[in-house]
Amino acid sequence: MVAMSVLRAAAAFAARLSPLKSGNTAANLLTRAIPRADKVAVRWGHGKKMFVIKPSDYYDRRFLRLLQYYILLTGIPVAVIVTCVNVFIGEAELAEIPEGYEPEHWEYYQHPISRWIARTFYDSPVKDYEKMMAAIQIEKEKADMRLAELEVRRVMRQKGDGPWFQMETMDKTLIDYSPKSTPDN
Amino acid sequence: MPSDYDKEAYPEPPRQTPVVDKQTALPNPALILSKLFYYSVDLPVTTFRDVVDSIRAKNKPVYYHQKFRRVPDLTECQEGDYTCYYEAEMQWRRDYKVDQEIVKVVQERMRACQQREGFSYNQNCAKEIEQFNETMKNFQLRYGDLGAYASGRKCLMKQKERMIAAQAQNA
Repeated sequence: MVAMSVLRAAAAFAARLSPLKSGNTAANLLTRAIPRADKVAVRWGHGKKMFVIKPSDYYDRRFLRLLQYYILLTGIPVAVIVTCVNVFIGEAELAEIPEGYEPEHWEYYQHPISRWIARTFYDSPVKDYEKMMAAIQIEKEKADMRLAELEVRRVMRQKGDGPWFQMETMDKTLIDYSPKSTPDN
Repeated sequence: MPSDYDKEAYPEPPRQTPVVDKQTALPNPALILSKLFYYSVDLPVTTFRDVVDSIRAKNKPVYYHQKFRRVPDLTECQEGDYTCYYEAEMQWRRDYKVDQEIVKVVQERMRACQQREGFSYNQNCAKEIEQFNETMKNFQLRYGDLGAYASGRKCLMKQKERMIAAQAQNA
């Protein structure tokens, strides 16, 4: 049995070395066939053309293409502008306020684009503060006037000597003072 | 280059680089790597920054730290003077923000101290820890549970409660 396995191994080895020799084909051998992977005709250069059936990816690729296009349409100019601003204009440095100088409201920001936005679009915070104070003042005056009106109504209704809460009476000259024949005339 | 941090608040630990005592003829790989890093990363980055700084050096804009005038407090406002209330409220909000930043700075100092000292921070950072505890206690007392809709008026009421509690305790 050991001799048989040794013979088998030897025959396999011989077949491996030279498979085309007449004595070494699979039919002759008692062993399992040993396939030679390196002698099979496999070429990866120009293979057989296959028609791969898969669902259409046209819509997906179109979506991604359009997404890329519309994002980059504004993305690239914005990136270029921000890079140029950062390189050529640069951020501001912190400094002490000089004597007797009142900085503009946009001089309190560091980045040049923030400064530009504060200068061009926003009102100064002082102006916003004053606007809020003005609104509060107007509302306060309105509330005071309403309270005063209520008080005036109360007093005039009570005393009756003001211009409000007067009921119009008929003309006194129309009263007939002549004696009547019956009590119900 | 931007201004450096406060060296007294964050002292650097003493340097522990050993004296160079080379006993072999072989090259030191740490030296080789550090030189490699210097030439491949440090030098290009520094030259780039110098180039950009020279472009920007012509007219450098400056920005300032805004200083606000002090206005009368909520306690000094007449009853019904809503504009005075508004100014006091805005001042209180600014002070609240400033106090939050103060707490953050103190916290940062304590953390830096702990990082520096390593395992012996309890002993070596006693001053920073003491300062932090005190600051936090005061902050909690003043602004503690006011919540998201905090206002100067609510803070004043909290102070009133504290004073009442202190008086009740003393009496």
